[in-house]
Amino acid sequence: MRHPAEADLLLYAFDPAASDRRAEIEEHLPSCGACRQTVESERFDDLLRDPFVWGDAASPAMESSLRARAAEIAREDAEAELLLGGLTPAAAAWTRRFRNRRNHTGGVVRWLTRRAHAICESRPLDALTYADQAAYVAESLRDDRYVAGAVFELRGTAWKERANALRLLGRFDAAHEALDRAAEAYSRLRHSGRGHAAVDFIRAAVLFEQQRQDEAALLAERAERAFAHLGLDDDRMRAIFLRANIRYEQGQLFAATAAFHEVLAWGEALKSAYWTGVGALGLGNCYIDRGEVGEASFHFRRALVLFTELHMESVCIKSQWGMGRVLLALGSHTDALLRLHEVAAGFERLGMVTDAALVGLDIADGLLTSGRTREIIPLASHVFDVFRQAGMLTGALAAVAYLKEAAAAGTLTPKGVDSVRRFLRRAERQPDLLFAPPAP
Amino acid sequence: MAPQTDPAAHDDLTADLVEESYRAHLAMMFRVAIRKFGIRPAEAEPLVHDVFATFMMHSDGVRNVTAYLIGAMCNACRQYLRQSTAENALFCGEEPCLATAEDGLIEEIHRKETLRRVLRRTGARCRDLLHRYYIEGQSTSDIAAAYETTPGTIQVFLHNCRERARKACGGERS
Repeated sequence: MRHPAEADLLLYAFDPAASDRRAEIEEHLPSCGACRQTVESERFDDLLRDPFVWGDAASPAMESSLRARAAEIAREDAEAELLLGGLTPAAAAWTRRFRNRRNHTGGVVRWLTRRAHAICESRPLDALTYADQAAYVAESLRDDRYVAGAVFELRGTAWKERANALRLLGRFDAAHEALDRAAEAYSRLRHSGRGHAAVDFIRAAVLFEQQRQDEAALLAERAERAFAHLGLDDDRMRAIFLRANIRYEQGQLFAATAAFHEVLAWGEALKSAYWTGVGALGLGNCYIDRGEVGEASFHFRRALVLFTELHMESVCIKSQWGMGRVLLALGSHTDALLRLHEVAAGFERLGMVTDAALVGLDIADGLLTSGRTREIIPLASHVFDVFRQAGMLTGALAAVAYLKEAAAAGTLTPKGVDSVRRFLRRAERQPDLLFAPPAP
Repeated sequence: MAPQTDPAAHDDLTADLVEESYRAHLAMMFRVAIRKFGIRPAEAEPLVHDVFATFMMHSDGVRNVTAYLIGAMCNACRQYLRQSTAENALFCGEEPCLATAEDGLIEEIHRKETLRRVLRRTGARCRDLLHRYYIEGQSTSDIAAAYETTPGTIQVFLHNCRERARKACGGERS
């Protein structure tokens, strides 16, 4: 047996990548205990020479600074909990506690932004109240109040939460302004952490709602890469889910399908019924639009089972909606219309009137196809009443009125139904939009 | 009624968690700055400090701490080297990332962490001998003079201490 030279072994032990005999050595080591011991021994000596293992690497000043900062965060968080614990959004709007500058701390900002974040999806107006107060307190802090520019992280987070609440309230211009403030604050940090990526992600979501899909896609992909870079897999998956929805809205069904498959695979890997369900629901919608009814049916059924287990009623109904569309595509009009009527009633019960109206448009499609155009008139009247009772604004009412009048006049076409559908989807988040009937 | 918490207890708990993450990742963060980006240790320290200080503020939302800290260090180093502005330093665009912890690096970090724990438990005399020899660079003669003994005795002691530490590391890792 021919052994490698000791110098080669030592270089290999120090840095295998730098050794030009790496392949030869790695082939030799498994069969040679002596050389293996030389390499392991040298590596162990190398470890012993490393100040890190002796705890000497960082200066005592850095260690004590970080330790003090950790203690400061913990103390402020606990004090904020004592000060604000149980504070309702209404009270947060009026309390005098935020006027007292002694209460202006990072802990208070974190308390408010965490609350805003937690309730944003379900109660965006309340989240906005918390985020506004957080931004007010964060802006009042001196720039050098904390080490490492932490004030800018606090400000960025507060503005980011405000932007997210504004997005969900449909106040898009204000959301963009808040995002600008967040980006400006994060730019003052020594490094880009999660903040800039989150700003990109929320801005992409705002642009998505504004139907500015090309810009939204660019930012969603940038956020996705940034989250991946930081190993923030949950955030990355939210960005992929957003990208999937953007591609779906753009009619890029193959790209959307691929992205929803990623979401589904992620959900399966995590054993997360929620992520698997939303992936399956998205895939069902893609496949039905692609005319692949069998695949669509499979995914809608799967989503339905998962959301039923999770007791998530709104997405259960959305899955049933998909099943209704499958029946419609298969030509089972009677069964489809029965199911779609149940779905519309379900959405109305939950107050999701735009979704109820969109289901109504699928019903109108089915009625048109089966030559029962006159039945669309009472359907449109019902949707009109539901919209009016829900306080929907002029544009949506005008669109439904057009549907009813065109059905009555016998001039309604699938294209006309689709124009109402596209309008209602946009108007849900852009209440100021005006409806223009399609050209005959 | 707001839940009553004991600020001091909270203080200790958070500080312990942060300390644990800090100890486990400090070497890796320095290594990314020094070995991957060629930044001098003294200049790397403020970067490590700030990345860690920022991480502390939202650590509860980070599941993969190692990946996060590597990515954040990569961003901080590039920003420091003026390779990128903050907003454009979200990711490096390298595939894989310049700072990606290849298996070898992760393995080395684990080995160092294990040895650090072993050395903390090692007896005072062994620790002192090993520290003098490997960190302070003293010869066996210098150490022998300090201990008023012969270099041969010190060599035996060093050998025994080193082997004990090596075996302890092997035991911990297996």
